[in-house]
Amino acid sequence: MGFVHAQAWQAIPEAQLVGLVDTDPNLLKTLGESIGVSGFPNLDTALREVDVDIIDICLPTHLHREAAEAALAAGKHVICEKPLALSLKDARAIIDAAAAAKKQILVGHVLRFFRVYQKARQLVLDHTLGQIGTIKTFRGGSYPKGWHDWYGDPAKSGTLATDLLIHDFDFLMWCFGPVERVYAKSLAGHITGAADHVLASLRFKSGPIAHVEGTWAYPKGFSYAFEIAGADGLIHFDSADKGPIHTLLRSGSERNASVEVPESPVEISPYQAELAHFLEVITHDALPVVTAEDGYNALAVSLAVRDSIQSGEPVLLPGRTGGES
Amino acid sequence: MNIAIFSFAHMHAYSYARSLKDLPGVTLKVVADDDVERGRQAAETFGARYVRDYQDALKEPLDAVIVTSENSRHAEMTVAALQAGLHVLCEKPIATRIEDGHRMVQAAHDAKKLLQMAFPMRYNIPAARLKQQLDQGRLGRILLMNGTNHGKNPGGWFIDPVLAGGGAVMDHTVHIVDLMRWYTGSEVREVYAEIDTRFHPIGIDDTGLLTLEFENGVIAALDPSWSRPQRSFPTWGDVTLEVVGTEGVTHLDAFAQHLVLYKEIAGQAQHLGWGDDPDLRMLESFIACIRAGTPPLASGHDGLQATQVALACYESARLARPVKISQ
Ligand SMILES: NC(=O)c1ccc[n+]([C@@H]2O[C@H](COP(=O)([O-])OP(=O)(O)OC[C@H]3O[C@@H](n4cnc5c(N)ncnc54)[C@H](O)[C@@H]3O)[C@@H](O)[C@H]2O)c1
Repeated sequence: MGFVHAQAWQAIPEAQLVGLVDTDPNLLKTLGESIGVSGFPNLDTALREVDVDIIDICLPTHLHREAAEAALAAGKHVICEKPLALSLKDARAIIDAAAAAKKQILVGHVLRFFRVYQKARQLVLDHTLGQIGTIKTFRGGSYPKGWHDWYGDPAKSGTLATDLLIHDFDFLMWCFGPVERVYAKSLAGHITGAADHVLASLRFKSGPIAHVEGTWAYPKGFSYAFEIAGADGLIHFDSADKGPIHTLLRSGSERNASVEVPESPVEISPYQAELAHFLEVITHDALPVVTAEDGYNALAVSLAVRDSIQSGEPVLLPGRTGGES
Repeated sequence: MNIAIFSFAHMHAYSYARSLKDLPGVTLKVVADDDVERGRQAAETFGARYVRDYQDALKEPLDAVIVTSENSRHAEMTVAALQAGLHVLCEKPIATRIEDGHRMVQAAHDAKKLLQMAFPMRYNIPAARLKQQLDQGRLGRILLMNGTNHGKNPGGWFIDPVLAGGGAVMDHTVHIVDLMRWYTGSEVREVYAEIDTRFHPIGIDDTGLLTLEFENGVIAALDPSWSRPQRSFPTWGDVTLEVVGTEGVTHLDAFAQHLVLYKEIAGQAQHLGWGDDPDLRMLESFIACIRAGTPPLASGHDGLQATQVALACYESARLARPVKISQ
């Protein structure tokens, strides 16, 4: 994700990417050289060496809190990839640190910057679909390869429910408000390795019901899909449908070898739109489209889903920004 | 920058007027339309002054004109605007007769003003991305292309042979031929066309299947028919292009970035696009070219070349044999 953000920063004329921090010196060297940005072995060194306004945290999730607190204590604004943290206690600590430092935080719930999700939300809010009954979402593909397999360690990634499904939880709450209760099942432990596949049922206080499916257990690929059904209309979208550009390239010398490349280009990528938005936010001291509380609430739903998987029982959500867990 | 729109006969005028509103420092000053009712309404909607006769508009302090009249009237309005020292963005096809197109290109040259053709597909992000990839040699050498620009029967003046100069083949051939020319950097050398009226009870062609050959040897096929069912098809039509090269194959579906909406009262499924708006990007580029004094991405010459192909197709269909295009 750090690489995706670095590319997005470089496409924004008003921003200057001045440093990369990573513990992997090889990565710093190759990436740093390819994009012409200096690398630093840790945040402290970077903070000493370069003058920055924003620290953009794309670390494995278990390291978010420590880095965010250090950045805020140094008086920097913070972008933090989702999930904001692994526990509500850590998430609250980050939010409090931002308040104390009078700095802004943006949590990387990037679906809010995907045109197709924006369009879907607009059709919900302008009542094109009438009263919404059900929403079904899908997100996933093959198991993600992370640094030292941190995705496979629940103490680092929080499991698929917190890492992947949190995207859809945030999107759904953006459309339908707070969640009342959740119930969920998972294949974790029943399939090979750390792969996981979750089915979650969400009931919103405003009435709609959602089924949210997420997987790290497909043989290959990655895709996302949704369907929103209302009394007056239905919309659906599947990123796996053939997009605007679909290419088959001959590869190598084998007669039938080929690679398949689907693409759906937009002028400004969602990541670039997200980062550019944060620049606006800090320049005008405005409220971000994704507030830190939104990040907190999405985490609360993710943790409730995880609890339900463990207990086999429905889990009631406390009020928005409710009690600590 | 002050703009006038000459006629709202073509529905694209509404989209262009909306796009102008989004551009900083650009004002739609005047709407000229000989249809009083339509012109007044458009002028009111977009906060412009209404005049009936475009000649009166030419006396206003304008910088540029968008010509969206009936096809056969493009030439007269475009030449007048250029001679009055204004830049012009002209709706496709450039004209209904090749002589008219030549006059327009010449007028732009003489006046040293911009004549841009409204070929929004060059501003469609997926189509533009494919152009970039082809230029980088991703598919190797292009060998073959097969494209569609399907639509529905637009009715009105579009099916009047005098005002439109032709039906589906006139209306839809030029978009894809322009993309093909842009991608290959080559001109069409020969066409073979089967043209008919087979979908609608109208006095103009709605059916065309075209076979093309380019000067660089690329062979191509194109379907510009108004063949999408009027009510049940979920969108206005399509722009697709298969490109076969020595290194691979790409399928472009320029408007694939959409949601599907099923709505009871609409009685049909609908596609709701969420991709970038090519019209807005085209207008943005037109204004930027005027400001910078740079040539447009699609010029009057490009408009002329594409229209020449459409006209040769009619000739081929009439003669029932291939027709060569001389450059
Ligand atoms: N928004 C999205 O769509 C999206 C997608 C993928 C990941 N993410 C999130 O982004 C974050 C990172 O995920 P990823 O897939 O990029 O992980 P990754 O494993 O690919 O990369 C993590 C990087 O952190 C470096 N690192 C580890 N410990 C470090 C330390 N102490 N100091 C400095 N660098 C250190 C590693 O060397 C590695 O380069 C996670 O929070 C994840 O949930 C978001």
